[in-house]
Amino acid sequence: MTRGVGMDVDVTQGNDPLIYPQETPASLTERVCVATLRPDGGMWAPMWWWMCLGVALLLVGMGAVSVAWLFYAGLGIWGIDWPVAWGFDILNYVWWIAIASGGTFISALFFLLRAPWRTSLNRLAESLTLCAALCAAIFPILHLGRPQFFYWLFPYPNTMGLWAQFRSPLVWDFFAILAYVTCSILFWYFGLLPDLATLRDRAQRRWQQVFYGVLALGFRGSARQWRHYGPVYGVLAALMAPLVVSVHSIVGMDFAGGAATGWHSTEFPPFFVFGAALSGFAIVLLVLLPLRPALGLEPYVTDRHVDVLGRLLLTSSLCVAYAYVMDVFSTFYGPDQADRTMFAFRLHGLYAPVYWGTIILNIVFPQLLWWRAIRLNPAVVWPICLGVLVGMWLERFQIIVTSLAHTQLVSAWGQYTPTVWEWSLLCGTIGLFLTAFLLLVRFIPMLAMAEMRAMLGDGP
Amino acid sequence: MPPLGRSGGADASDRLAGLSDDELVRQFPRLEGALSHALDRRRTLRLLALALASGGLKGCDPGTPDRGFVSAVRAAEGVVPGVPNIYATAHVRDGYAEGILVTHQMGRPIKVEGNPAHPGSRGGTDVMAQALIHDFYDPDRAIGPLHHGMPASWQDLTGAMQRMRSTVMAPRRPDGTRSGTGLRILTGTVTSPTMGRAIAQIMQAYPGAIWHQWDAIGRKHVRQGGMLAYGQAVSVLPDLTQADVVLALDSDLLDSAPGHLAFARDFAMRRNPVRGTMNRLYAVEATPSLTGVAADHRFIASPVMLDEVIGRLSAGLLQDEAPSGGPEWLGPVMRDLRAHRGRAFIHLGPDHPPEVHATVHAMNEALGGRGRVFDVLEPPEYRTPSPVDDLPTLMEDMEDGRVEALLIVDVNPVHQVPRLAAALRHVPTSITLADRPHETAVATNWHVPLAHGMEDWGDARGHDGTVALIQPQAMPLYGGMNALAALHACVGLPLRPAIDMVRATWRDLLPSQRDWHDALATGVIAGTACRSIDALLQPAASRVASPASFPRSAAQPVLLLRPDPYLWDGRGANNPWLQELPRPLSKVVWDNPLLIPPDLARDMKLRNGDVVTLSQGQARARLPVWIQPGQASGCVVGLLGWGRQHAGATGDDVGTDLYPFRDAPGPLRIEVAKETAIPVACTEHHATIIGTAPSEIARHGTLEQFRGNPAFLAGKQEPDASLYRRPPDGPVAWGMSIDLNACIGCNACVTACQVENNIPVVGRDEVLRQREMHWLRIDRFHEGTPDAPDTFFQPMLCMHCEQAPCETVCPVGATTHDSEGLNVMVYNRCIGTKFCSNNCPYKVRRFNYFAFAQHENRPAISRNPDVSVRTRGVMEKCTFCVQRIAQARIATDRDGVAEQVVTACQAACPTRAISFGDIHDPAAEVTRHKASPLSYAALPEQGTYPRVTYEGRIRNRNPDIGS
Repeated sequence: MTRGVGMDVDVTQGNDPLIYPQETPASLTERVCVATLRPDGGMWAPMWWWMCLGVALLLVGMGAVSVAWLFYAGLGIWGIDWPVAWGFDILNYVWWIAIASGGTFISALFFLLRAPWRTSLNRLAESLTLCAALCAAIFPILHLGRPQFFYWLFPYPNTMGLWAQFRSPLVWDFFAILAYVTCSILFWYFGLLPDLATLRDRAQRRWQQVFYGVLALGFRGSARQWRHYGPVYGVLAALMAPLVVSVHSIVGMDFAGGAATGWHSTEFPPFFVFGAALSGFAIVLLVLLPLRPALGLEPYVTDRHVDVLGRLLLTSSLCVAYAYVMDVFSTFYGPDQADRTMFAFRLHGLYAPVYWGTIILNIVFPQLLWWRAIRLNPAVVWPICLGVLVGMWLERFQIIVTSLAHTQLVSAWGQYTPTVWEWSLLCGTIGLFLTAFLLLVRFIPMLAMAEMRAMLGDGP
Repeated sequence: MPPLGRSGGADASDRLAGLSDDELVRQFPRLEGALSHALDRRRTLRLLALALASGGLKGCDPGTPDRGFVSAVRAAEGVVPGVPNIYATAHVRDGYAEGILVTHQMGRPIKVEGNPAHPGSRGGTDVMAQALIHDFYDPDRAIGPLHHGMPASWQDLTGAMQRMRSTVMAPRRPDGTRSGTGLRILTGTVTSPTMGRAIAQIMQAYPGAIWHQWDAIGRKHVRQGGMLAYGQAVSVLPDLTQADVVLALDSDLLDSAPGHLAFARDFAMRRNPVRGTMNRLYAVEATPSLTGVAADHRFIASPVMLDEVIGRLSAGLLQDEAPSGGPEWLGPVMRDLRAHRGRAFIHLGPDHPPEVHATVHAMNEALGGRGRVFDVLEPPEYRTPSPVDDLPTLMEDMEDGRVEALLIVDVNPVHQVPRLAAALRHVPTSITLADRPHETAVATNWHVPLAHGMEDWGDARGHDGTVALIQPQAMPLYGGMNALAALHACVGLPLRPAIDMVRATWRDLLPSQRDWHDALATGVIAGTACRSIDALLQPAASRVASPASFPRSAAQPVLLLRPDPYLWDGRGANNPWLQELPRPLSKVVWDNPLLIPPDLARDMKLRNGDVVTLSQGQARARLPVWIQPGQASGCVVGLLGWGRQHAGATGDDVGTDLYPFRDAPGPLRIEVAKETAIPVACTEHHATIIGTAPSEIARHGTLEQFRGNPAFLAGKQEPDASLYRRPPDGPVAWGMSIDLNACIGCNACVTACQVENNIPVVGRDEVLRQREMHWLRIDRFHEGTPDAPDTFFQPMLCMHCEQAPCETVCPVGATTHDSEGLNVMVYNRCIGTKFCSNNCPYKVRRFNYFAFAQHENRPAISRNPDVSVRTRGVMEKCTFCVQRIAQARIATDRDGVAEQVVTACQAACPTRAISFGDIHDPAAEVTRHKASPLSYAALPEQGTYPRVTYEGRIRNRNPDIGS
């Protein structure tokens, strides 16, 4: 069958196998299905799951209160102001959408590149993508002064005779996100179909049979179905790979298309793709490291995977470093005095810790990953990943807030201090991310069983 | 004349006779019965319903003078919906009138413009006149009589007055003194002939009465100085169009002196070297003022140093002594003054003692400018206040029990002279006549509510004596009385409607009804200006020994108390437009921090907002500090008019009251308080920046440079026309040019814009959150050193860029370009992404973070009906007054004449710094100004091609004085 990845490599051999040698397609299917279906009854979910869900729901509640108050009282409850009209809203949007990129890079790009290690990670990574994209999608609506009219961005025929303004990067952004999220869901769901069918077939309880049966959309594993499945999956992957680049390029253009100091730069689109890759790989590692023992995935997600992800993280960190260097270069090589003044403010103004924090967390610490021993040591890798996520957040703060605080006109300089409502909304989205992910972990197989079986030599 | 009839006076006098309550019972006979029964639930509900229903009746127009009701089936004559009516009247501050025109929409006043026919306005207005509309609609104005600060009935008030009349004003007093002995009337400076006559009638009827005139921010020293110099009361009126060299010593010539609008206009006429020969202004002052910023040379001198400077100046100019010692600039300045004999003028601020004023008069005479650069006129005051009649004398008399009845008319001395409250306890009957329940109104026994100046008949002279007629612009909104009628009613003189009293004053000059109407229409009575007099300088004037103006102690800081530029003596405190208007130099709003010089801040390690304790004698205050670059070392400046206790919902407890320091004896002590800093709201949301290089934004240079190359400021230019540039295809192309040579930074345009365009006030907390809403702001740039910077003003508003960065980024097309080159904002389409604001290099867009307009303390009827009120979550900005453009377009379509549009900012500007019009019309003023070699666009490298351009500022520096 054209399952693509890993067909021509024996993944269980060698000193550093991708899958432990004793694993067979049957053992894999058994283990994953038991974890998801829990046929023995017992605890509905493990203790750690409940605890995490509790914390996550608490955060969601916090976010819900924040959103309710926002809708009631208006944007003024945030700290955004006259010169700095964008703050946490756009910052967190860009941050989350970048986090979402990880899954797509791993599962689409490396599918096309035929990288065998990608198969053990793609389900997990894509699930993370969906959850992060969900969080990201909230902000563009909440950041509007009149969120009830968000649909005016959509070019639909209306009695007002009005149309979206297609020169605006925000419109491009709207479409880019819409396309990206739609395709991500399709890609994830399509990849999931065979596994849903497996679960349906093995389910003991009625509700599980119905639940997975409906979701499996009648996938029976017939040769004809597999014959269609393969090319479609390939096409979707081929769509997703450029989409992830385009969506982050366009997020970059939200700024590059603007005239504010520090924004108006042609290097922003690739710069944002680099940043997205960095945070995408970081979130996958961040989640993978604790989840691997918790779900007992060690046989399938081996040190080899962690090693690969570490190398990717390092590579993207170097790409980001290049972007930072170019940012400095073009600012001081360029003709714009206002840009230089703003950059000086970045380096040693009110928000200087943000800039230096970005450099240290995104570039300096990840350099430790040059050493294999460190790449394989979760106690070091995990903090580095967390640091990268914080660093990427700081980078966005720097781009958005520091720039707007020091634009061309000295008389219009200002500053920005987020309020409790912005922090609580950020916490709320973290809670939403965790909640959604925990639910997926519980009900959806975190390993792509069908693909893994194919890799283990059991062609469906 | 507004279609109002003459019911103002009649209505109020009815009320004074105590008819109102009786009338109520007469009209609703069953009400009394109903009220006398014990109340059960049903009855209570019924009464509540009645109250609700009669609340609606209360809103009815009181009708014609004979109390007949006229339904509005036919609209009032001359009132056409959508078409403004304009009536002339005057705004009076401290007695001096500034002519204004009030624009009405559907019978309600909504905008003030300057009266071109009035010499004190010449079409321009100041901030306070612009803000009058808010005062007029202010819901905190007086709504009825007060007894010891509690609401009382008109009947009780009438009774109290009768008792007063029966004792104080009895024709035969038991102690044999003249009738009226013990009656005192305290007013501000009175220039109004009618008010003067009214008071004179009282004096005549009660010969024992005494009239005191007093103003919180007085010009007593100026008047006494004139008296010393010329031996009689005079008013010295400069003509700045004729002056080649002006030396302003601590001067308020362009800021607030009576006639400052006219002076600013004259001054500005000679500031642009492209359009005439420049004059030269030297300013010597302790704390920066508009006059100082406008000067070609600003020298910083503490009061002590200024005394020395004046001493040396007078020695040089009067005794022909060679200048020796003193600051190094003094010699060149004196030479310059001498070189322009007959064309030089010296102006001294009102804080200096009369003797110094006399010396300055003598110097001006010595410079030989009389008859050309200044003239000596009869004073415009009705009766020049004599020092004997001043407030301290009155307070002594009060404390000694010699005052039996005190009428305080339209001044608020209890706020401004804290000791007065105690003295009032010795006065059996004290009555305040005022339009709002202020500190004095609640401290006296009685408060008689007066009508607002815009609801009243009257007259007042301007700085040059020209009489302006004051006519009511509406029925009294809250039922206040006419000031003239109330005064006579209090003392029991026969009541006459105020209009008749004013009319009677001018019967000789305006004999026919037609003359009267013409005078009302123009707002001024022609030929009433004060006559020039040939008073000779007293020989002694040049030899008057001048005492030290201020305590000479180098170690102690000197506290200079100045009126707040907008709240003035405190009267503007309840006006949020004034509260939220950035002070021109500090940009502070909603507070009066102590202004300290940079060196004091360094010594005491103070930062903006740090709290200090200020004490002098009994007076103590804790207030934040604000560092004022360019303020004289050793001087701290406090602004008066703040910390009001009975101003209203807006003004109570805002800022710190510094009046107690005015007469406090002893040395001033400043101590750093331990408490944490108080955030001071300021529209400059970052540390003050003192530029080192000449600004690219507010460009400036010297006259010498200009003579070398007139286009030397062109500097950085817009890039060559790009691929996308398109010529506007509309019939006209609107554009604006702002002459930075003329702009003195007075902020009148900012307030005019706020009033015209329904721009909401956001309050102190929201300004602290950097969310003020002004569409037009005056940017202030410092260059040089913090101790002695050069300062420049630049009005900044939407530039209406031809390549507008805001337009391309709006995802819903809520901001677009129209065919006439306007960058228009479609509020209804805006969804509030705020991208346009981020993308605006000039940062002139303002966002409604909250429903600011909804939360304003002003009735909806006070708004301009031609301008949408913006809702929460919507972006807004300058529209070039698109509503005025639309009016003009209609007029063009109808009458076929070329469109004449005057924007609100342009109309208000006293110096005509702003020109606006069709930039394709070669004859238009704006086109000519844009062709000036000084013309430039702000931030040209952005490639926005703004429709607003500036003319760079040229300073006529004296080459003998180093920078």
